[in-house]
Amino acid sequence: MPPDDDRILGIPELDPALATALPPGWMAVLTGPSGSGAPLLAKQFANAGVGKTPVLFYTTYERTRDVEEAFEAFGWDASAIKIVNLADEYYDRVLMRGLEIAQAREQGLTLDQMRVDRPKDRVASQFSLTSRMLSDLASIDTPFRLVLDSVDFFLEVLAPAEVTTVARQIRYRCQTVGGQALLAVHSPSHGSAFTGALEDLADVVFHLKAEPKGNRYETTLFIEKVRNRPDLQRIARARIGQSGWTTEDLPDGKG
Amino acid sequence: MAPATQLERCVTGIEGLDNILSGGIPLGNMVLIAGSVGTGKTTLCLEFLVRGAERGERSLFLSVTEASDKLIQNLSTFEFFRPELVTNGSLVFVDLPVLYERLGLEHEELSEDEIGILIRTIRDLVRQLGVKRLVLDSLTSVGYRIRRDERIRDFMLRLGLELSDAGCTSLLVSEIGPTQGRYSLHGVEEAIVDGVVLLWNARRQGDILRVLQIIKMRGTSHSQAQYVIELTPIGLLLAPHLKGGQMEGQ
Repeated sequence: MPPDDDRILGIPELDPALATALPPGWMAVLTGPSGSGAPLLAKQFANAGVGKTPVLFYTTYERTRDVEEAFEAFGWDASAIKIVNLADEYYDRVLMRGLEIAQAREQGLTLDQMRVDRPKDRVASQFSLTSRMLSDLASIDTPFRLVLDSVDFFLEVLAPAEVTTVARQIRYRCQTVGGQALLAVHSPSHGSAFTGALEDLADVVFHLKAEPKGNRYETTLFIEKVRNRPDLQRIARARIGQSGWTTEDLPDGKG
Repeated sequence: MAPATQLERCVTGIEGLDNILSGGIPLGNMVLIAGSVGTGKTTLCLEFLVRGAERGERSLFLSVTEASDKLIQNLSTFEFFRPELVTNGSLVFVDLPVLYERLGLEHEELSEDEIGILIRTIRDLVRQLGVKRLVLDSLTSVGYRIRRDERIRDFMLRLGLELSDAGCTSLLVSEIGPTQGRYSLHGVEEAIVDGVVLLWNARRQGDILRVLQIIKMRGTSHSQAQYVIELTPIGLLLAPHLKGGQMEGQ
């Protein structure tokens, strides 16, 4: 294993080179469609930050327990990571409220229902995914590691330009306090304008791709961009071992 | 004929006011209580509800601008108020912002659908509780969210019909500037309501007098004279306004 400071993805074959190329604060984008293993790589990236900095893992589609079990399956310590389940919070504070409003509109309200105190977070303000995450970030003034898995959920509720602004704010925070963030994008259908803008903001862009080969899938990890270091672009065969993803160069994989 | 007339009245319980209204507000009427700040609009409305609750008429205060707790606290300084009217449910306070929140009416400007939802909710509440007196304090605040004249007109017509059908007499508070030259925010409200009571502060010989005048009241004869009102611990007192001395302020 590389020294702590050199752990970027937690992939020994790639980390040292990336560590020398990246500035103290940076943001990565990881793209990979369903079945590519990108969620596991996002978790591996989070685990690689344990012991160095506080690690925040924002999940938008998995149960918190599922995230913890995925960590445990590879011997990673989930308790060392702060897992924030944005999907649950969104359900509780937006979707659930939407159901209650629909019910109140259809069936009316009784006086008792008007007098039941709501939890303050349900009524104080509209829930904002952006504020929820950025307020956490704003409270950290030391180096940190952050994973947002995934950006796709934000695109369901915000305009692409707003999501790009969120990414910009995350990157700015990384640069300001020496943070390291990874934003995962799973769906390939967001349009080239959005993904282009996101990748343009990113200091590093990873892409995972799984293709059928015989009776199994072969996964390829693309390092599509390392800011100011095109020599580190790479295409590598990726495999899952006992401690997560590992890679080996393809014969002609070095760019 | 006299007893039949009595049955059709909502006796406000504010003695002087009932006198000049020939016995009270015609039952089911919707009345605008218009006036600038500090003229006694809310106090008049609160007393109207308390007097009704004491007579066994369930009374509902829909508050937009002030929290109910604060209103009840202010009310407790009057001798005519008994807290048990609130605890036994005769006098009910509902904060309209809570209603907005529960119904998801959060846009700055209410749509036609949302206005319909608001009316239905108030109607259901009135029916559910058997409310006979209602105060909306203030119509102006609601009017800020119903920005188009035709929509405020529609809101008031529909609300008025619903309340009247339920036998509920209502007072809608309208906040107007001292020199506004009309009785409401949009200027269409006074044409729709059944009655307009105007309150204003007048200065006479260095004193400020609160003055009340019934501008219109459908279904009854009424005095159009100006009355000086005094807010006392036992309630509003009305006295004919004597015309002596120079007066300004309406």
